[in-house]
Amino acid sequence: MTGMLKGCVALVTGGRGGIGRAICARFLREGATVYAADLSDTGSTGNAPDASRFIQLDVTCEAETRAAMDRIAAEEGRLDVLVNAAGIEIEHTIEQTSLEDWNRIFAINVTGTFLPSKYALPLLRKGAAGGRMASVINFGSYDGFIADPGLAAYCATKGAVHALTRAMACDHGSEGIRVNAICPGYVDTPMLRSFFSGAGSGAGGGSLDTVLDQVKAVHPTRTCGTPEDIANLVNWLASDEARYASGQLWVLDGGLSAQVQQMKF
Amino acid sequence: MTLSGKTAIVTGGGRGIGRATVERLRAAGANVATCGRGARPADLGEAVLWVQADVALGTDAERIVVATRAQFGPADILVNNAGVQVEKPLTDTTDEDWDRVIGANCRGTFNMCRAFIPQAPEGGSIVNLGSISGEVADPSMAIYNASKGFVHALTRSIAIDHGPRIRCNAVRPGWIMTEMVEAGFSLARDPERAREDAVARHAMRRFGRPEDVAEAILWLVSDASGFVTGQCFTIDGGLTSASPLQPGLF
Repeated sequence: MTGMLKGCVALVTGGRGGIGRAICARFLREGATVYAADLSDTGSTGNAPDASRFIQLDVTCEAETRAAMDRIAAEEGRLDVLVNAAGIEIEHTIEQTSLEDWNRIFAINVTGTFLPSKYALPLLRKGAAGGRMASVINFGSYDGFIADPGLAAYCATKGAVHALTRAMACDHGSEGIRVNAICPGYVDTPMLRSFFSGAGSGAGGGSLDTVLDQVKAVHPTRTCGTPEDIANLVNWLASDEARYASGQLWVLDGGLSAQVQQMKF
Repeated sequence: MTLSGKTAIVTGGGRGIGRATVERLRAAGANVATCGRGARPADLGEAVLWVQADVALGTDAERIVVATRAQFGPADILVNNAGVQVEKPLTDTTDEDWDRVIGANCRGTFNMCRAFIPQAPEGGSIVNLGSISGEVADPSMAIYNASKGFVHALTRSIAIDHGPRIRCNAVRPGWIMTEMVEAGFSLARDPERAREDAVARHAMRRFGRPEDVAEAILWLVSDASGFVTGQCFTIDGGLTSASPLQPGLF
């Protein structure tokens, strides 16, 4: 399927990361004009740039966020799709989490969803003025519903994003702006691999491949997600096919959270 | 917390969570009637009324309420505990399995509520036994899981339709050490290891006890929870708060 976002202008924060990059690639294929915002043009993964327009942006910085919107306003005059995909995780219990780390993860995951959304609103209203609803897609997580051990602050930020998503949907639906959150489970990204090789993950010293195999086995679908799986749903939520979808939290996790903990022996 | 002067019906009080609830409500001062399909258990306290009955049958449900009323006066409290499980995926489930599970868990709850509500005095309280399995799926328990989803939805409907006169809530137990859970573990290839693994998945590092659920039910039927209705309370030692995928368990 191509052309689902033909003529749309989209901004993806974290657009050079594992999942953000896949979203940009999909949006480009669907015919959108895509802005990828990230700390650097190669992102944390060192990927080569793609055809999306790069905006250097720290989503915790109000001035940079306004500047990013000013640039899109000058170049395109409107925004149809905003994807708040920038995020980090900190692998600690609350006891191990410093106040500095706590503030940092809230700044990126929560404030970093708030600021781009706040300053994109005037552009999103212009996008919606064309008769097609504008779409904001936030990044929650299944960790916003049930806890992974040793990820306390991360879980809390994702719960905040879920609540913010519903609030934004209620406040701005009448302006033609839909707001949804996508809540991924385990997606094979550098962030996940870091979690499973991190000292605090309790992965038991097994090789990364062994751990990943065990992770896959716990899923009803017997596989982890890929960034492309996430991009598929983001694309649908961004498109006009999802025009009646708003205020919802879309869990995409291979069935992981549908089950009672699985008997292994 | 006292239930002095109150009368309670607890279905399925022969054993397990039902029996623990019978004893807890008795200890709190309530008159208690209970029922089961078999004969009166020898170890059931003398003061407890036993009605041999099958809640899946509407006439039996009526009979339980009438017998309770004859002995103690109108029933204030109903705990719908009677239930059965069948450990099968959907494609192996027979018509008889369906009738048994849906009969006891769904129709039984329906029958008892329908018989109880008209005679219950102002301030009556119903507690239904749901399950975490009504929210997240236990493998190979398809019809059981579905039956508990029914109970959760019915709980909200009764609360809405019959408030303010009657309150209705549900408890959702997790793995409570009863014969029913033992039957679940018997499906494991290595039941002993499965049991150890399961314990490790609980924040409380133990399985539930029937008394854990009975304490929650006591609160929900007492006046202490007078503003609580239409809710389903999970009592699972933290099991379903955690991801099914806990790296520490590899």
